[in-house]
Amino acid sequence: MQTGLSTQNAPSPSVVIPHFVFGALMFLASGIVMMLAAPSLIFHYHLNAQMLSLTHLMVLGFISVIIFGSLYQLIPVVMEVKLYSEVLAKITFYLFGVGLIILVISFWGANFGSGQNWRWFEISGTLILVAVLLFAFNTLKSASKSKRKDISNLFIVTAIIYLVLTVSLAIMMIINFALHFIPVNLLDLLKMHLNLGLMGWFLFLIIGVASKLMPMFLIIHKLPKYLLKYAYILLNAGLIMMVSAFYFYPQTWIIGLSSLLLFAGVGLFLYFNYYAFKHRLRKKLDVGLKLSKVAFLLLAFVLTLSVLDILSPDFIASFQYRIDIALIMSIIFGFLTALVLGQTYKTLPFIIWLKVYKTKVGKQKTPLPQELYSSRVAQWHTMTFLIAFLLLIVGELAAIVWLIQLAAAFFILTAALYNYNVFKIVFHKDKLLNHE
Amino acid sequence: MSNIKTLTAKEQEILQLLKTVVDPEVAVNIVDLGLVYEINLKEDKQSIQVIMTMSTRGCPLGDVIVENVQLVIEANYSGYKADVEVVWEPEWSPDLITEAGRKAIEEL
Repeated sequence: MQTGLSTQNAPSPSVVIPHFVFGALMFLASGIVMMLAAPSLIFHYHLNAQMLSLTHLMVLGFISVIIFGSLYQLIPVVMEVKLYSEVLAKITFYLFGVGLIILVISFWGANFGSGQNWRWFEISGTLILVAVLLFAFNTLKSASKSKRKDISNLFIVTAIIYLVLTVSLAIMMIINFALHFIPVNLLDLLKMHLNLGLMGWFLFLIIGVASKLMPMFLIIHKLPKYLLKYAYILLNAGLIMMVSAFYFYPQTWIIGLSSLLLFAGVGLFLYFNYYAFKHRLRKKLDVGLKLSKVAFLLLAFVLTLSVLDILSPDFIASFQYRIDIALIMSIIFGFLTALVLGQTYKTLPFIIWLKVYKTKVGKQKTPLPQELYSSRVAQWHTMTFLIAFLLLIVGELAAIVWLIQLAAAFFILTAALYNYNVFKIVFHKDKLLNHE
Repeated sequence: MSNIKTLTAKEQEILQLLKTVVDPEVAVNIVDLGLVYEINLKEDKQSIQVIMTMSTRGCPLGDVIVENVQLVIEANYSGYKADVEVVWEPEWSPDLITEAGRKAIEEL
């Protein structure tokens, strides 16, 4: 194989495809859970069982599972190495899936009182932790063989380390409920977990992958990658300072300072994307890239909401908690969801296309990867997603349950349409076209 | 050595043939994308060497494009061996896209 070409490094589709199928189904399940949980989603207390059930179903079941699958495919692409172990990847998938389902059900029925039985939390937490450790071992072992040491790879490797920290802290929190060995209050622990997960795992990973793939998808050259080096330093400094502050010294000024560093890092990444979209040769965006553009606009919205949340001016004091919830919902159901929906169309069709047509290219005319799904259905679910997101945020800010239920209905519709396309791609059969 | 500006008539034919090889991501042919650097037809050795690049290292479909180039040449030049070499220097840049390629990308 020639250096720099990675198709032959790609893992077997049987490693990657189950992640997309499971993730798509969990997105649908999240819409249904949101509908059922809507009356609880306006309450602000730290251990809101229904809220925790929903958010974990989304971040682990939908977003992380699809990211795992995508990374198994992308690591060979961006790092030019083979995946260390496909068997380990399959074991990871099942451990993670089973652990997730038990965890979500445990959250739903939890009261977190003195009579709370923690056994199922311990079982599910252990399954997820083992899965994450195996995932980290597999991907980091692969990465260690790579000769390509660039900023994109560094972001991806760092993200995986933050994932391990996020999940390790979660299981320590579960044990702490029984043993009380961590000398930190629950709220600060939850904030550490939340920041490590959202800023550490998701954001670092997204920056790493986006900085590699955007030039390919948008046809652009000479992106200002040096900005990402500054972003890497700012984001790490901000995150480590914030998490340490929550543990050792939870004072407002240090949280404010670390937030500033994080905002600056996110700002640089947003500017990087703005530059990429502005200078792209490919002017007309396909649905995958349109959704990615929506995601980056939503990230700007998240950033604005975060600044408001941190500055906490007097006029928002009476409903600050609603902004807290709206902020978390904007990250999970806005930015991350839009990005995963969009990147599905930039990843899954290629995996299936390679599987079905790789040996036929050049011999017969084949369809293009983007012809494996319905663009019209993808456009529809882009619209329903935007309506769902808007209803959810207004519903959360105004604390109106029926608006959240309406948002849930639109999320269900979005997920159903998205599932239609995912299954259409996955079950695509060889469709050779006539010779021209 | 014939870079694509100094091709012989027969090498020009091969270049035109390579316009049937499309990058599946952008649906534009590899010649108009500026991916083909050199074509060397060696009649005595019955070989056709293509020196080309990809728009980015680690292109997910790179191997497929290379195989496609080989297949198209060998199917149309019976008895000839296609030797496709991928190079990363000089680095590809959008300046290499032809006018037709630029138009096709804009119309995507």
